Amino acid sequence: MIYDVCIIGSGAGGAPIAYELSRAGFRVVVLEKGEYYTEDDFDKDELAVTRRDKFTPPLWEQKHIIHEYKKNGSFMRYDGEEYNWSFWNGSLVGGSSNLMSGYFHRMKPDDFRLRSVYGAIEGANVIDWAISYEELEPYYDKVEKVIGVSGQVVKHTYQEPRSSKDFPYPPLKENKVAQWFDTACFDLGYTPIPTPRAILPYNAQERNGCYYSNFCGSYGCASGAKGSARAALLQKCNAKIIANAFVYKLQSDAKRVTKAYYYSRYGLSHSIEAKMFVVAAQPIESVRLLLNSKNKHYPNGLANSSGELGKNLIFSAGGSGSGRFVFEKLSKKQQKELMEIGVFFNRSLQEWYEYQHNGTTRKGGTIDFLFEHQNIISRVNSEIYDDEGRLIWGEALEKKIYKNITQSRVLTFEVFNDWLPTDLCSIGVDESVQDKFGVNVGLINLYGHPHDLEVGEFLAQKAVGVLEKMGAVDISYSISSAPSPNLVAGGCRFGYDAKTSVLDKNCKAHDVENLYVSDASFMPTGGSVPYTWTIYANSFRVADVIKKELAKEEI
Amino acid sequence: MCIPHGTMSLKRKKGDFLIPFLNRREFLLYSFATSAVFITNGCEVNGITTPLETLSQVQKDLFPKSKTLGINTQHYMRIVLNHPRIDDKTKTFLKNSVAWLNESAYERYQKKYILLNDEHRQKLLHQISTTQWGERWIYKLLSFGFEAMLGDPVYGANINEAGWRWLKFEGGRPRPKKAYL
Repeated sequence: MIYDVCIIGSGAGGAPIAYELSRAGFRVVVLEKGEYYTEDDFDKDELAVTRRDKFTPPLWEQKHIIHEYKKNGSFMRYDGEEYNWSFWNGSLVGGSSNLMSGYFHRMKPDDFRLRSVYGAIEGANVIDWAISYEELEPYYDKVEKVIGVSGQVVKHTYQEPRSSKDFPYPPLKENKVAQWFDTACFDLGYTPIPTPRAILPYNAQERNGCYYSNFCGSYGCASGAKGSARAALLQKCNAKIIANAFVYKLQSDAKRVTKAYYYSRYGLSHSIEAKMFVVAAQPIESVRLLLNSKNKHYPNGLANSSGELGKNLIFSAGGSGSGRFVFEKLSKKQQKELMEIGVFFNRSLQEWYEYQHNGTTRKGGTIDFLFEHQNIISRVNSEIYDDEGRLIWGEALEKKIYKNITQSRVLTFEVFNDWLPTDLCSIGVDESVQDKFGVNVGLINLYGHPHDLEVGEFLAQKAVGVLEKMGAVDISYSISSAPSPNLVAGGCRFGYDAKTSVLDKNCKAHDVENLYVSDASFMPTGGSVPYTWTIYANSFRVADVIKKELAKEEI
Repeated sequence: MCIPHGTMSLKRKKGDFLIPFLNRREFLLYSFATSAVFITNGCEVNGITTPLETLSQVQKDLFPKSKTLGINTQHYMRIVLNHPRIDDKTKTFLKNSVAWLNESAYERYQKKYILLNDEHRQKLLHQISTTQWGERWIYKLLSFGFEAMLGDPVYGANINEAGWRWLKFEGGRPRPKKAYL
């Protein structure tokens, strides 16, 4: 059988295309490396999910090699298995969107023209996008409605233009401490933003609403309220999904991809034929697949005549911090409010999406505020060291744990700012190391531009000011160039020039007539927000393009 | 001078291996946790212990509250030492550290760890906590101990949710129907 479309990867980059095309009557097959879990399979087992990494491959079977670069070009080599450094985010149908927290922010119009608005930065490959915010806006809007985004639009300096007045779903229930936050922000002259979430507050879209399980991020959603690619899209279309199918090679002639080869759970090789192929395995694995698919027509990797494949890998720069609210400083009523679990905190600040620095306008970013995850084992583990960094145990540790867990609560913040693309940050394959299938593993070259740290530091200090105003104690933060593996983009830049980009503006490979890449790989810059909403939106956009192309072929 | 010890340990070990096993999985589960750890001073065997008997004592010494809560840490450590998603490196480190701790015990007190009195055991733990391996090992044992105490009761260690109740913690819903092993 020849499918109309074969999609490699079932997450936020691939599922919208599967959904749109199968609902339009095309024959679609989705190849997913991981298992097929549904709502019935998801529970809140901290040991399985976060301690034993149930949803990602063991590093001794599948890993990455990491080269961490310094500015002078020297690097340290790390074997992911040896250093327990994982870049896997979720191998299951629906991908890591099953495990996201669903903090949804759109990119801003100026994020699409970063070079034009903010200028060049030495040592960074900043360019404008091949499309504008206005071109993507209808798809951001579509995501709100199809995936389901809840929230409340508030007017603030950097509120992006919207075609719909408000979100289709009202905000989720909130903890009262969010009001303390609002008061502190108003006193400081800031505008608090209720964080939009890809979570349904009530039953809708043939899915159940949020039941406030208290365990959202990192866990699969047992109600279907979370807008995962599986719950919101794949379970609502008739695309054929083949789980436990690891695609290791795309076969092509000079112009077209002809087959996708995959290994099944048992290591047997199979192939799929299709008219169109879409790669959406997250940037590191998408690039790895294209590089491992080199042939006589594409000796440097499929769709890589430009030599740009794998270049300009980006993450989200920034870091995180926290402050603690202690019973000693609170009334009985406030203590009760603080300890109410289940309901969300859901606040963000975009006050400094751009800011003035030494007389110039600088791109800033977003700060999300949220309660520390309820994972009890990791919370208790964080008490093992004292303030001087010494191990403690016995009665001292027992008292510290009891006090901090039962008589205080930690509010955390996450800073998102641009990870500037550079020559030193890229994706390759390591031909000396193979995974359990015998396939060359991905090589991740890491480098964080110093500018990223300066911006992150600026934003973190603003967040600290809010926590101080709220009366938090033990405030600390960490801004570093350590990459966040779940916020990864780039490696297959889109653009108009086939010599300097891998994909055209529609995310089709310049070199290959029937190959699209629809995960975050296309992004030349990442904006200063989590990427998922943009990935979903762009994938819906690409779906429209493929639909038109297939319709032409049928004529 | 190398003084031989551990004859009694040898006899007990022999008894352990005579226990009948119902199936291969149970055998594997039992064998790693109870397999012999030889304690040497570099030239002679000073004694033999098993990972589980030493680990169990160390975990009681590190966090006695677990015992008062009735947490079955020893059962959980059997799971840890045989879990397919815990790498061999970690398991080997846990086991090797048992030997190193006991070697330190012999060096300082001429007895294996489990035979020391409370004061000496604590002094020894403080001593090894200043070494790189000792600090890492203690952290790991505390951490696995907390997994036992605060993991879902389906794993058989956090009996009657005693650990959760101590910290006024409500587990997330739905709870797992079976342990992930």
